[in-house]
Amino acid sequence: MILEMKNIVKHFEDCKVLHDISLGVDSGEVVSIIGRSGSGKSTLLRCATFLEKIDGGSIAYKGDTVAHTPEGAKTVYAGKKEMARVRNCFGLVFQNFNLFPHYSVLKNIMDAPVNVQKRDPASVEAEAMKLLDKMGLADKASAYPFQLSGGQKQRVAIARALALNPDILFFDEPTSALDPELTQEVLKIIRQLADEKMTMVIVTHEMNFAKAVSNRVIFMDGGYIVEEGTPAEVFDDPKQERTKRFLQNYD
Amino acid sequence: MKKTVCLLLALTMMLSLAACGAPAASTEKRVFKHGFDLDYPPYSYINEDGSMGGFDVELAQAVCEHLGWEYQAVPFNWDAKDAELNAGSCDCIWSGFTINGREDDYTWTKPYSDNTQMILVKNDSGIKTLADLAGKNVGVQTATSAYDLLNDEEGQKALCDTFAGLEVYETYTIAFNDLKAGAIDAIAIDVTSGNYLISSEDGYGFLDEVLGSEQYAIGFRKGDTELRDTVEKALDDLVADGTYAKIGEKYPEIKDYLCLGK
Amino acid sequence: MSFTTMLATMSVGMLRTVGIFLLTLLGSLPLGMIIMFGRKSRLTIVSGAMKILISVIRGTPLMLQLLVWYFGPYYLFGWSIKGYRYTAIIIGFVVNYACYFAEIYRGGIEAMDKGQYEAAEILGYTKSQTFFRIILPQVIKTILPSVTNEVITLVKDTSLAFTLAYQEVFSLAKQISASETSFTPFVVAGVFYFAANYVVAFIMDRIEKSMGYYS
Repeated sequence: MILEMKNIVKHFEDCKVLHDISLGVDSGEVVSIIGRSGSGKSTLLRCATFLEKIDGGSIAYKGDTVAHTPEGAKTVYAGKKEMARVRNCFGLVFQNFNLFPHYSVLKNIMDAPVNVQKRDPASVEAEAMKLLDKMGLADKASAYPFQLSGGQKQRVAIARALALNPDILFFDEPTSALDPELTQEVLKIIRQLADEKMTMVIVTHEMNFAKAVSNRVIFMDGGYIVEEGTPAEVFDDPKQERTKRFLQNYD
Repeated sequence: MKKTVCLLLALTMMLSLAACGAPAASTEKRVFKHGFDLDYPPYSYINEDGSMGGFDVELAQAVCEHLGWEYQAVPFNWDAKDAELNAGSCDCIWSGFTINGREDDYTWTKPYSDNTQMILVKNDSGIKTLADLAGKNVGVQTATSAYDLLNDEEGQKALCDTFAGLEVYETYTIAFNDLKAGAIDAIAIDVTSGNYLISSEDGYGFLDEVLGSEQYAIGFRKGDTELRDTVEKALDDLVADGTYAKIGEKYPEIKDYLCLGK
Repeated sequence: MSFTTMLATMSVGMLRTVGIFLLTLLGSLPLGMIIMFGRKSRLTIVSGAMKILISVIRGTPLMLQLLVWYFGPYYLFGWSIKGYRYTAIIIGFVVNYACYFAEIYRGGIEAMDKGQYEAAEILGYTKSQTFFRIILPQVIKTILPSVTNEVITLVKDTSLAFTLAYQEVFSLAKQISASETSFTPFVVAGVFYFAANYVVAFIMDRIEKSMGYYS
């Protein structure tokens, strides 16, 4: 199992946003998390990527537990070195891309492999160009982010995440900031990655896409996992009343 | 359009300025605008309570009272004295103002005070003569007669060249702080100002040798003889009725140097 | 005094002005960064001390600060201040401008999008890599106009060095003007300052343009 989150609890001030959530992701699996805004799905992703600290439960990557909560105590995270090593396991694609505006497209992709992973620049560049080619952006290598459309920016962001060779890739509403016509070009890339057996967890509002691409779908509401199953189970035959109501609104 | 507006504005401003400059009605008191350096004790300075004071200020006030004029203080930055006088913001420069070297630049009254420029040192400095100043650091206030003297080829430029350095200050107060702190070795200063500086400090004195001497008078705009004559006459009256000497008594640093009526 | 003599004397003064200007920039730009980090420190003692420093420096006239830096050692500790004049002037200017720069840096850093930090964190950048590779270059671009303003003010503020009897160009202009009863030295000083600021504006504009490749 690549990611294993157990009994995750998260508060913001006095507000409990995640109630005892458990999520495991196997290698090659594509998991979609759906739910309305404020249901806690993005927070879950941010907890998995350490952008938010959990208040209860445990997180393990590839069998190594990096955060756990002893009985009646605060959550303990692993040391700096261990955290840095584990960070290497995953990548995250943001809703707002968060490309570095002062770097060219190529440098955005190459900078972390070269300066963080200390890899050889020449081979990183070759790999980055291959990734850009795959994204259909080979001609944009020397462009700057402000010269790109939203869809292009998001494809660069995906290439940037992939360049570090992660074991699992998280997507936090990757198409929410995009116009409908640009959404498709990004979804196409994610679908392609799914075909290549990339392990992915995708928070999304694109129901048809989630249905088509995922092995498993999780519906969250109010900080709880309400329903979980194959796309066929969740979309075509939901058991829970809340899931039904949510899906009806999307038709 | 914009230009027209600008022109109109400029015109309005000029008109209002002209209105201000118009002669006051004859029933009003004549206003005497006394221009002086507000940091030049004991001739002119700011009192501890914030009011203006000094020998020149008191004497000018006495002149106004004598003539039935209204006294108006115009304290200014000493560097800007000529601009102030020429612009008409004051009627005269009257602030320990040296005649020597400026004889032809202003319309002068006769001198009311003698003054000498001397060297102020710490008593234990070992400096006894002007020659001892060779290789020493000497301080002076900018735009004063001591400063002019040290920069004048016909004055004490030769002596000045023997100094290790001449530090030029904005005020003597800071120069004196530097002397106290030992950053400089001596100060070239008017004896009256120097007396004032050391009046509340022990351990300081002047060299016996004099740097130069000069006289103070009141400088009016060149050609303004009528005003000069009126003020000069009033001064004579004040000497005669003893007011001049009485004011002088309040300033022990300078009373020995007052020269009117002698 | 002939016009050429005056020009020569004032040129020497202008060189001294430029000297103060360059040394102040050299010291205050990095010191401002250190003060800013202190100000943002999680140690309340450090951030509190920096906060007080900044408010004192910004709340008092530079002229007063120069007097305190120069005479302070003598009056507080009785130390000799002989030969310390120029050092005091530079310390006074550097600390004063560093505090203003610190606040400009802070404004620039706090205006940065949180997403940039998060992206860097996810990609595995260390804290210092994040700051120097990702944040700082962008901050410099946003704060450049405010820095230019401050630098131009500095050119003019150098005249305050005369408080400590340092004869830079403006005090020389005042002295020559007083002894020659002429306004010309001020005009010359004005031309010198304007020329200096013209060069400053030109250089800053070049730097701004060099960062204009992205928006």
